[in-house]
Amino acid sequence: MDIQFKQVSYTYQPHTPFAYQAIRNINLSISSGEYIAIVGHTGSGKSTLLQHINGLLLPTDGEVQIGEYILSSNNKRQDLRKLREKVGIVFQYPEHQLFEETVEKDISFGPHNFGIPKDEISKRVLSSIEKVELQTNFLEKSPFELSGGQMRRVAIAGVLAMEPEVLILDEPTAGLDPKGQIDIMKMFYQLHQSKQMTTILVTHQMDHALKYADRIIVLANGEVYMEGNPEEIFSKTNQLQEVNLDVPEILTLIQDFNQRFNGTIRYQRQSIAELAKEIVEHFRENKRL
Amino acid sequence: MSAIEFREVFFRYNEESPFVLKNFNLTIEQGQTVAVLGHNGSGKSTVSKLVNGLLTPQSGEILVNDTKIRTSNVWEIRKNVGMVFQNPENQFVGTTVRDDVAFGLENRGIPRDEMEQRIKQSLMNVGMEQYMDHEPHHLSGGQKQRIAIASVMAIKPEILLLDEATSMLDPKGRKEILATIQTLKKHGKMTMVMITHDLNEIVLADRIIVMNKGNIYLDTTKELLFTHHKKLESIGLTLPFTVELALELEKYDYQFALYPLNYKEFNKELWTSNLNK
Repeated sequence: MDIQFKQVSYTYQPHTPFAYQAIRNINLSISSGEYIAIVGHTGSGKSTLLQHINGLLLPTDGEVQIGEYILSSNNKRQDLRKLREKVGIVFQYPEHQLFEETVEKDISFGPHNFGIPKDEISKRVLSSIEKVELQTNFLEKSPFELSGGQMRRVAIAGVLAMEPEVLILDEPTAGLDPKGQIDIMKMFYQLHQSKQMTTILVTHQMDHALKYADRIIVLANGEVYMEGNPEEIFSKTNQLQEVNLDVPEILTLIQDFNQRFNGTIRYQRQSIAELAKEIVEHFRENKRL
Repeated sequence: MSAIEFREVFFRYNEESPFVLKNFNLTIEQGQTVAVLGHNGSGKSTVSKLVNGLLTPQSGEILVNDTKIRTSNVWEIRKNVGMVFQNPENQFVGTTVRDDVAFGLENRGIPRDEMEQRIKQSLMNVGMEQYMDHEPHHLSGGQKQRIAIASVMAIKPEILLLDEATSMLDPKGRKEILATIQTLKKHGKMTMVMITHDLNEIVLADRIIVMNKGNIYLDTTKELLFTHHKKLESIGLTLPFTVELALELEKYDYQFALYPLNYKEFNKELWTSNLNK
């Protein structure tokens, strides 16, 4: 499902003294199967933007096209159910939305609401608990006796049970400890690769955007500020600084290394071990000179 | 005088669950800035909730400014212990940002003139002065957290507990809060306890305590913390990328006198290491 934003603006509480335009004149296109990172400082419009992708918000101006759906302000109310089946959103702190007695019931809730047959639901529950790397014996437990990280996985399994084609992740690692963050990011990447799922990640962590995204969209003050692949985006250090975004430390380190030691190392998503090897090789070669 | 003291504290959330703290002892001196690390479930948040009497231990004593916390004095103690939680959503009472910061001051009977001045100052400290008349629930998560920090700072507590207080902030917000912590550290005699995973917060601390299974696992400094890298990894903590890279280079006989915490330190250490090789 391709996603297109055509001159989209959104104003909260229009025609009141509190009117606030959160995004303005957004033009974007996201192809099926892409991994997109949306970055930008607090209040730049990230959350507003992504709520347009499954029709939680309708544009004040312009239109959003998602597959065959066209969403705009002068639309009649349409049945967005099919759209919402296809676009899954993992909100910030999704574990706050858990409410059922057991993990199984919680994961079933979405598919059940969408009228999916019972035996199909059971299948999906099993496959989604597997996807979030929890054991099946969790299904009988109460979600509230689990740890924070486990609760988050259960909440994510609930979204995956809808078998969405587009997965939107709104700061999915917030509040997790560093190890939990690494694990969950790997998990999403695996899903993206194995299911060709279009993945839209909203994040403050530039290293995640660097490591996983095919393309980065930078928002600032409700507008698209920059757009490009990670390498392009993070080479524009000054422009990033202007909107208070950092360059991931690994890139700064490589750049500083190259300057200091006259090196030619390039970031290519190499592992830390590989990077160490390149550093060693650089010194070896230069000793010969 | 010590600011915070735990003496043989045992704590669990209910009778069926295991002890979160087991014979826990800790003394934090006045004016110290301490970072408490540990993976989720290591007991670190429990420690902070015990310090301001939100939780009561099953046995053992907890002292704040050498006074034992009892049910009779817990409100007195809380006046001196400001606490900022990870999630600011649950900390709002006022209908505007100004009212919200005023709330704690009103409760303490601060005169109006001083109140206004403190509200302004503490909002400036967190870079939110232009939001004085905004409604808190319309702010983003990061902005809310800055207001929560401002509300606590306005009260000028002697002890400030930050329970993963920057974990929800964006990089800019985080930097501002870190700068604020640094200013407080320089000017005040405030004792600060930061429960954190964030390396930038750790770097501000005079002392670092690593918790595991309800006890102190390491009691060290930021300079020495990562010399314990094996121990840290064995309890599921991650190392900063620069430390990992240094460890990889050690395999090639490069030596690091200091485990670097950022790229500058890394390349500087690498320079020396390469010269001596």
